[in-house]
Amino acid sequence: MDYLLEGLIKALSLLLNRDPETLAAIQVTLKVTTYSMAASLLLGVPLGFGLGFFDFPGRKFLRTLANTLLSLPTVLIGLLVYALLSQQGPLGSLGLLFTPLAIAIGQTILALPIVVALTAATIESLDQKLRLTLLSLGANRRQLLLSILWEARYGLLMAAVTAYGRVLTEVGISLMVGGNIKWYTRTITTTIALETAKGNFALGVALGLVLLLLAFGVNFSLMYLRRKW
Amino acid sequence: MVKPLFEIRDLFHAYQGKTALCVDHLVIPQSKITALVGPNGAGKSTFLRLLSFIEQPVRGKILYQGKTLRLFEPATRKIVLLPQEPYLLRRSVFDNVAYGLRIRGQKKGLRKRVYEALSLVGLAPGEFAQRPWYALSGGETQRVALASRLVLRPEVLLLDEPTSGVDAQSALLIQKAIVEAQKLWGTNLIIATHDWDWVSEIADTWFYFAQQQVWEDIPLFIPGPWQKGPLFWVRPFRDGASLQLEAPRQDSSGLAVFSSKEIKIYLQKPDKNFNVLDFQIFKVSLNKKLGKIFVFLSREDISLVLESGAGLSLYPGQKVWLSFPERAQKWL
Repeated sequence: MDYLLEGLIKALSLLLNRDPETLAAIQVTLKVTTYSMAASLLLGVPLGFGLGFFDFPGRKFLRTLANTLLSLPTVLIGLLVYALLSQQGPLGSLGLLFTPLAIAIGQTILALPIVVALTAATIESLDQKLRLTLLSLGANRRQLLLSILWEARYGLLMAAVTAYGRVLTEVGISLMVGGNIKWYTRTITTTIALETAKGNFALGVALGLVLLLLAFGVNFSLMYLRRKW
Repeated sequence: MVKPLFEIRDLFHAYQGKTALCVDHLVIPQSKITALVGPNGAGKSTFLRLLSFIEQPVRGKILYQGKTLRLFEPATRKIVLLPQEPYLLRRSVFDNVAYGLRIRGQKKGLRKRVYEALSLVGLAPGEFAQRPWYALSGGETQRVALASRLVLRPEVLLLDEPTSGVDAQSALLIQKAIVEAQKLWGTNLIIATHDWDWVSEIADTWFYFAQQQVWEDIPLFIPGPWQKGPLFWVRPFRDGASLQLEAPRQDSSGLAVFSSKEIKIYLQKPDKNFNVLDFQIFKVSLNKKLGKIFVFLSREDISLVLESGAGLSLYPGQKVWLSFPERAQKWL
């Protein structure tokens, strides 16, 4: 149990002394998760909305597909993205393998089904009376769409928070397509994996705590935002 | 010539193959308070949604001041519907009432107009404007929903069961607010309701909805079971009485229809005995505007509404005799 306490002290000292390696890992983590979240929200919210709002043939199948993809293992995504981006792969010429962008692409694939499935579920669960109410008040097509999204804002927020939790804590993708390159593609989670393998438990625990702190910061600001709305 | 507010021609609407409404021809006049009365499931809500152009009929035409409109056409914004169960947006009372004005880009004097609308429905703006949507009673929710429509000063306000699920006080405030709106802005009111008493006070034109159709006079329905003979169909009652009618000429599901005007009410048992049935009055409703009395009667599983002149003195609990003609006006 000693290394838990030791880790806590170490975590504080790393943060207070602004340890450059730790800061770099935090920075890389924040950068790739921001990219992947932006991409998955931009793609996923419209897709999820369409899936939850419109009735079309094949909709049920697509909903099931999105739900199935919720359990995509990160190593499989890592493998796929690796195959795509490696020299022999179809996108090899872009030279993206072992870059932060490669991690972001993998994490987008990871987050997208979460955003799509949870957005669709939120839109589906909205009261049937909402559409009639908005139309009865004279909303045009664009206003109808925006107002429905706004009514669903808590659900969309929950989708984003869940997806963020997933990309922030994944290690498989970062390791496989990022390559765990110090100062460049080494994230908090890959550092933990590495340090633990080296027997450096305290540092691992410290970085784990940093990760939780980060997640707490994000959720706390969203909670605040939610109360404001 | 003043064009009618709405003219309906050969209207047919259905949901998943099930007939929801069928109207051959109907004219709703301008500058009136129109009541659409009838039981649940008669097609009133469907009719209002069609009048608001939110839904398009399967067949037929609805003309608003001589023109057909389609959903999202700017002209449809003059017609505003208050749907049956009130639904408030997930925002404050103020933002709910302001929503319609904002999406119309009418931001001038927004606050003043929202406060006016809230006052009109009897909600003190200072107390209610900043309340969230969930901190309201049923009656208050309905009145906020109404204020959200009144603030738009619509040409036509379609109200779907505005008093269902609200207390008498709220029902009265709603009545006052819509009558005031009509006076202030000349809003045409079309009200679907099964609350005869409430709407009697204000409506000058009445249409009766039943069985997915519109009737000029109050229709009376006698459902089966019938003992079907080749010439006559007989409807027996549990107490031994019966009604004998000419058999329908076409296929019929066994619903005999009479017009309120064909039925005579007797306070004493009349000498002639044929097709005379005793009924019990369970409600009497005075319609001051039309100078009529609506009498609600029941016998076993049948309930009817009759129009009566003000001459007879009728009271709930009273037993009266109705004489039916030998031939139904129509069979459904």
